[in-house]
Amino acid sequence: MSMQNIGIDKISRRDFLQQGLVFGAGARGLAAGYAAVPDVFAKAVYSAKGAGVTNDKILVMIQLGGGNDGLQTVIPLSDPKYRDLRPSLGKEADAALPLDKDHGLHQNLKGIKALFDQGKVAVVQGVGYPAPSFSHFDSIRVWETGDPTRRQQDGWLGKTIEKNYDSAGHPLVGCATGTTSTPGMLRDLQATLTVINDQASFKFQGNSDNVDKVMGTLYTSTPGIYGALFDTAMSTVRDTVAQLKTSAAKYVPKAAYSDNQKLVFSSKNQLAAALQLASELIVTGTGVKVLHVTLGGFDTHYTEQTRHADLMAYLDSAVSAFHADLTAYGMADRVLIATWSEFGRRPQENASGGTDHGTAAPVFLIGDAVKGGLYGQTPSLSKLDSSQNVSFNVDFRSVYQEILTSHLGVDGPDVLGASFDRLPFIRPAAG
Amino acid sequence: MDEQDLRRRGSAPSTPGRRGPRISRRTVLVGAGGAAIGLAATRVLGLHKLGPDPLALVNPTSAPIVNTKDWISPLERPEAQVAQLLRRATFGMTKAQYDAALSDGFKTTVDKLIETPAAMPKDLAGADAATQDKPINVTALQTWWLDQILSTPTPFAERMTYFWHGHFTSDFRKVTTQTPFIYWQNLTWRRNALGNFRDMLYQVTIDPGMLRYLDLGQSTGKAPNENYSRELMELFTMGVGTFTEDDVRAGAKALAGWREPLTQPMVDYLVARAQQQGRAAPKNLVADTVKTGIYDPNRAYKGSVTYLGVTKQWDTNMVLDRIMQQDSVAPYITRKVLREFVMQDPPDAYVNRIAAGWKKSNYDIKTLMRDVFMSPEFLSPVAYRSLVKSPTEVMVHMSRALEQPALSRAIATSGSGMGQALFDPPEVGGWPSNASWVSSNNVLTRVNFVVSTLSGMPKLPAFGSAHQTHIDGIVSEGTAQLLNGSSDDQTRWLILLASPEFQLK
Repeated sequence: MSMQNIGIDKISRRDFLQQGLVFGAGARGLAAGYAAVPDVFAKAVYSAKGAGVTNDKILVMIQLGGGNDGLQTVIPLSDPKYRDLRPSLGKEADAALPLDKDHGLHQNLKGIKALFDQGKVAVVQGVGYPAPSFSHFDSIRVWETGDPTRRQQDGWLGKTIEKNYDSAGHPLVGCATGTTSTPGMLRDLQATLTVINDQASFKFQGNSDNVDKVMGTLYTSTPGIYGALFDTAMSTVRDTVAQLKTSAAKYVPKAAYSDNQKLVFSSKNQLAAALQLASELIVTGTGVKVLHVTLGGFDTHYTEQTRHADLMAYLDSAVSAFHADLTAYGMADRVLIATWSEFGRRPQENASGGTDHGTAAPVFLIGDAVKGGLYGQTPSLSKLDSSQNVSFNVDFRSVYQEILTSHLGVDGPDVLGASFDRLPFIRPAAG
Repeated sequence: MDEQDLRRRGSAPSTPGRRGPRISRRTVLVGAGGAAIGLAATRVLGLHKLGPDPLALVNPTSAPIVNTKDWISPLERPEAQVAQLLRRATFGMTKAQYDAALSDGFKTTVDKLIETPAAMPKDLAGADAATQDKPINVTALQTWWLDQILSTPTPFAERMTYFWHGHFTSDFRKVTTQTPFIYWQNLTWRRNALGNFRDMLYQVTIDPGMLRYLDLGQSTGKAPNENYSRELMELFTMGVGTFTEDDVRAGAKALAGWREPLTQPMVDYLVARAQQQGRAAPKNLVADTVKTGIYDPNRAYKGSVTYLGVTKQWDTNMVLDRIMQQDSVAPYITRKVLREFVMQDPPDAYVNRIAAGWKKSNYDIKTLMRDVFMSPEFLSPVAYRSLVKSPTEVMVHMSRALEQPALSRAIATSGSGMGQALFDPPEVGGWPSNASWVSSNNVLTRVNFVVSTLSGMPKLPAFGSAHQTHIDGIVSEGTAQLLNGSSDDQTRWLILLASPEFQLK
């Protein structure tokens, strides 16, 4: 029997054996019975269960799916190798928005540039990990688990939730919006997570109160290796349906969110709608701590110039609206936005007007709590590695550690399994 | 019976180190031959003790095994065996199909499913002539395939077409709907679904939809594109870690030279558009006569490269032959097939045994699938309800259970809300599986589909013993309680089709 793939069946049986608990839900849920919707939202917004974990900060991860071309996002203005390696894509340098004399943002990131000028954007350069993988699936798993050795199964944020928050009692602690499945970064067998694809349809059809109650009974004490997973998912649905009714009544967007960006091929993801829902969950005090949204389409092997430009515009528009909305509600100081992507792209452009899979790339941290500026070192285009790619100089786990320790106020090394060099991109708390 | 009753009646002894009350639950076998008014009285069989936890054998210091709660596998019974086969091999069955399979017996049913060549679907109107100004409608495409799935006399061939669609992935967004390619690709997967894997691999490589999706149609010897070369090895044949980056780059060179075909409607469109824009019509535009990619030696790479350890001048067939010589191929594909059809984590010995047989058959797909269905593992207790139905499977099974084949469009439009829009997988790795189908969003959308389907049917088939046919009569106490308490068939169908039991296969 292989120990390498510890599947859900084995861990959930272990739970039964060692804790007598249904995984993902606590004994509290069983004692109360599933027929009644737990009164979670009368409880305090702060769902922390550990001592000393009492802040009200929120994290929003934005996945740029496919491998965002960092060299077209944060453009090395004064490095002549850039245009040598990118005779056609390099034209973006002419239109870039300068951060300083050596670095410019892609011209379509106007809103993010404005936030940078206000000191609210930290651009961390050269983020990656040792022995990088060029496989989408494999590198995504590394970023999701925070483990280049590929031993961890759970997402680093799932683990964070499991160690620090009572997600069973507060299912909205970890929430993915604008998607249908739990993102790997949030996944943890012992955490309860919420996924809401589209708010308007997130309710029971038919005679909804009756269906709600019947489903509560139907999804109780379900046997088998997936039983607890189904039951927890259903109880999360019921809690969330109730919560969304309240939130929707209290929230109107105070910024212009638009999903009408025209992309070269239509995006699966409605990023603006996902962020708008995230904003609603945040500003109405649902207790959400960790959110995850996705924008796909970054795997630009060919005709990259226009495709990437469109994606930059879409990202910028959605993030700007989100930040403006939070600001209008007085929540901007509590929310940190972070982007992530499985890898950057090869410095040498290919002859299809695109780029192949690469390695290190910049990460953006955006928010009022950020100590803005450029971090890390600009990757050298003269000293490429044996695969003709840039070398990383910031371990991605340093970024995670700062998010965990300085923003969320939890024990970063405990989640990550080790300590990493400090990247001080979070403003120290006042007083 | 509430939780407190269950706790008092629980018979599990306490184990040192446990925290909190021992929570007992029941797996209930509903009596067979329920009367028309409802179900026979429940018999509570008590806790079901499983065999030793495999982890305990590996790590002897873990807590001793007491009772755990699992479904009681009925797979020693012929009725349950054919139901297991039909749920997994055909997207689920009507009562008539179930009765016929039961009458034929398991082995004959396996033979019939596997040996029946795929029935081809009727044409999708306008798809062959798709162009930029007359694109394929995605919902129409999805509905067309679902019509085929729902009405086909060869459901196993459709099941395999669906499997290959999730393995050799592409999506309509990148392939676009402005050519026939996404439609042709479905036809190609079906034609090759039950043939030889090596032959299929060639058809996959030169398929116009695939040429576009993974950029092989753009790849030339002067400018080789790595996308297809990488995914061909990593996802389609060998797996992560079985090749080097040098192999990816060499493979890109070795495979280069293919281009997409042009149809006559596409040529006509380009000419008409040029005229509209006051330009001269593009010269030398001739429609191709084939529905595959076209190889142009002038676009190929000239010279030797070292690919998977061999240095020479390559062509596409040589590349595929070299891949098929790798030891990794048989276990990689076999493991994927076993995870799709048998259990989520098949042991290495099982994978290797089936893989060895497949390799001996020279990669005949029918042989592989027969070995899988006839393997003792397929009907072992650990395989019972070990897989979660995908959205397409649960909706098609539901449709069959309701004797209602006209749900194809409703299924097509509901898929994306459950995480599965046909022709639109989330990424090149294909669909989620098992536990990753289960999220709060997806559980809600599945239930809503049941509610809206039942609400929209003025006449429902009699429920009768549908719980026997479709979920073997093996239900949890909650499900039994609700079925027993239902006063009409509409409610019984709701309970059955929305139940966690029905989500499993």
